[in-house]
Amino acid sequence: MPLFDSDFLTKLDYLSLVSKRLFRGSLLAQRRTKQMGGGIEFADHREYSHGDDFRHLDWNVFARHGQLLLKRFQEEADLHVYLLLDCSRSMGFGSPPKFDLARQVVAALAYIALADLDRIAVVAFANDIVADFPLTRGKDRILSLMKFLEALEPSCADTDLVRVITGFTQRPQQRGLAVVVSDLYDPRGYERGLDLLRYRNYEPHIVRLFDRQEAEPSLLGELELMDIESGVGQKVTITEEALKKYEKLFVEFGDNLSRYSRRYGLGCTQTLCDVPFEELILGMMRSAGVVA
Amino acid sequence: MSLANPLALYWLGAIIPIVGLYILKVRLRRVAVPTMLFWNRLYDQQKPRSVWQRLRHWVSLLIQAALALLIAAALADPFFPWETRQLRRVVLVVDNSASMNATDVAPSRLIAAKSQAVSMIRGLRFRDELAIVSAGGRPRVVCGFSSHSRTLTATANDISPTDNPTRVTEAIELARRLLDEPADERQSEIVVLTDRDLDPIREGESLVAIDVRRFGAMTGNIGITQFQTRRSLIDPLGYEILVEVTNASDKAVEARLEMDLNDDVIDVVPLKLTAGQRWWQAFEKTSASGGHLTAKLDHADSFMADNQAWAVLPKRDSIPVMLVSEPNLFLQKVFESNPLVQLDCVEPSRLGLRPDRSITVFHRQTPPQLPTGSVLVIDPRNDCDLWTVGEPVPNPLVGQQDQRAAASMSLLTHVQLNNVLLPEARQVTFVDDAAARVLVRAIGGEPLLAVIERPGQKVLLLTVNLAEGDLPLRTAFPILVSNALSWFTENRGELSESLPTGAITEIDLASLNPTSEQQLTLVAPDGRRTELPSRVDRISLGPFDQCGVWRVVDLQKGEITLSERACNLANRDESDIRCLEPEGRTEPFVAASSFGQRPIWVWLIALSWLLLGLEWWAYQRRWIA
Repeated sequence: MPLFDSDFLTKLDYLSLVSKRLFRGSLLAQRRTKQMGGGIEFADHREYSHGDDFRHLDWNVFARHGQLLLKRFQEEADLHVYLLLDCSRSMGFGSPPKFDLARQVVAALAYIALADLDRIAVVAFANDIVADFPLTRGKDRILSLMKFLEALEPSCADTDLVRVITGFTQRPQQRGLAVVVSDLYDPRGYERGLDLLRYRNYEPHIVRLFDRQEAEPSLLGELELMDIESGVGQKVTITEEALKKYEKLFVEFGDNLSRYSRRYGLGCTQTLCDVPFEELILGMMRSAGVVA
Repeated sequence: MSLANPLALYWLGAIIPIVGLYILKVRLRRVAVPTMLFWNRLYDQQKPRSVWQRLRHWVSLLIQAALALLIAAALADPFFPWETRQLRRVVLVVDNSASMNATDVAPSRLIAAKSQAVSMIRGLRFRDELAIVSAGGRPRVVCGFSSHSRTLTATANDISPTDNPTRVTEAIELARRLLDEPADERQSEIVVLTDRDLDPIREGESLVAIDVRRFGAMTGNIGITQFQTRRSLIDPLGYEILVEVTNASDKAVEARLEMDLNDDVIDVVPLKLTAGQRWWQAFEKTSASGGHLTAKLDHADSFMADNQAWAVLPKRDSIPVMLVSEPNLFLQKVFESNPLVQLDCVEPSRLGLRPDRSITVFHRQTPPQLPTGSVLVIDPRNDCDLWTVGEPVPNPLVGQQDQRAAASMSLLTHVQLNNVLLPEARQVTFVDDAAARVLVRAIGGEPLLAVIERPGQKVLLLTVNLAEGDLPLRTAFPILVSNALSWFTENRGELSESLPTGAITEIDLASLNPTSEQQLTLVAPDGRRTELPSRVDRISLGPFDQCGVWRVVDLQKGEITLSERACNLANRDESDIRCLEPEGRTEPFVAASSFGQRPIWVWLIALSWLLLGLEWWAYQRRWIA
């Protein structure tokens, strides 16, 4: 069964319409960015410093309080949406594989963004950036994107988010929304990589996918566990008690991610990989407005 | 300690593969996981294969090795030497005769005896052997020597009550023969569970210890000890009943004896019997139909088997007789006097076909060729194929009467022709003298009464002129005719003897009109069925172990009854159920001195089960703990 069929495209159209209806009237331009600049929407004040444009002084405040405060406006610009897709081997795990849903989510988000005249780029990564779909604009580019996504395989080495984000942020490109679609199984931790995105003024959004077998593995007895990313094995005796502890650790992992996202105001979606992608997208749009 | 099967120790070799498998270690199943993040964190807290876990595996190995050791030891069947030195061989003689059905010991003597037999079996030590012999009727080994308690218990419980007479003495002889077989050092004993008093000499002369345990009480009983019937020799419809009732008690009793024929009461006799009295009486009754005679003793006692008795009365069939004669009132009346005769008078000129199995009587006129079957010729006047008729013999005097031949054929029973005035007879010359037997001759040697028997033909010839003499006026004439009819029909005082229980009898299949397809079955009074061999001339039936009417039926003909035999207790000894000794001893049969009354291998297996449970628990702990 092909990953992107006509039914998939129909669903994308539907999602695009829904996104427009949801955000109609709430946007002044097509998209807002967090960049301060020459827009018309007031953002906040800041202290005047030498060299600032007098035209932006708030004379009313000065007249009332004698303070020189500078008015800041949100800059209106085309939104750049960077979709970072995890292609490590762990994404091939699950039934159906997490990678399938990940590609569908990336395609859906890209379509919605392209339909709203935003620019999108897709970066496939594992321990490094392994493939790029360059920054593009226009709805007609969706088919090329789908071909690109279909050509990807979860056959790369283990995840290294720091290295990937470092390489990504060093690119000469405009800041924008960075949606990371991954299972976040980075042995070195995902926090540093996401921190790098934040530091470089990107707006990170995390879409974490996991399989039910990962959350509640049905393993019991004496086994040799083998990491499909690194190929490293370990002989263990899995008991019921160990399984309970595992499940607790897995839940803690998700809780930590949620806590991290809340702390830094990041959008975060965690979901099982057996949900339909359109439900996942709608849920994301409703909860955080990330897509819009 | 010794081993009964030392070769089984080879099974200890099973430890080698167990240890080998532990040394080699079974390759663990590989499972791919998307990340080891969580597993590493988990086992950082708890080492995956800790020292304790490894030790636990060693414990498991030791348990499995011990398990193999125990099973091998159990297969080797170890035993202590003293177990063989104290072995016992016991024959249990259980009397399941009729008197053991008495209910003076609740629920019955036999059930009480079986209960004690079972308790004895439970008291057997391992390696003790016990055999069971039943003593009701022909002694029978119902279970050979065995140590298997369950088999022995089931066999003892399966001993069924019978109405057979006691054969305890023969059963003890059988038990002795059983014990004589292996002359080893084991202790032998015969335990008899009965209600009979054994001959003390017989008890004492045996080298084998005999432990007699009696069941019963000094209970009086009144019972029918004989009940027979037979057809009358004289009266075609008559029959006689012989009843004997015995009062086997120490007190005078009153009872009522009722006799039924096919459930119709034919007589009721009040009885007053003194202590130990035996009363008997013969009754004469009439019935043509025959059937089941039943005698019931109306007396409540604890032994019911002899309160009722059965007998089979043979049916008397009608006799078709065709009288070929000029009208002759004497002849007509003499045949009509027999209620079984269906007389058909035919004039000689109208002689035609005669019915099957009829007796043809020719008076004076005989056809040239006598018909087959039964033929009575009186006063012949013309020749036929068997004889030629000569001149009349005037005033023949009865000279010689062949008593031996007449007695064998019963033709002259109660008949004396010496004093009869015979004015005339016919001179007859037989074509084949050898075939003719003259029963009565005149002084001159002329035959007056003769018989000719050929295949398919029986001919009785009376050469006397009835019209001239006074023979028809004598009582001898109807008796002679009645004897002749009985001779033709072969019905003379039929006796279907009521058999005593335990008896064996034979039946003549040829007389039952056998067919090739017949499927003979013996049906007991309680409905039990035993298939009988077919295509044989005679069959032995029995021993009959139940009172009542036994039937031989042909299942191919819709279960039609071919033959019936009544069976009664008819045993004065069995009816005397007084037991001189009160209930049998109840002390335990065998002191439980063996190793828990179980072989050692049972304990080894039990221990191995325990270890298996422990290993299972340890195995489960490895998964669930």
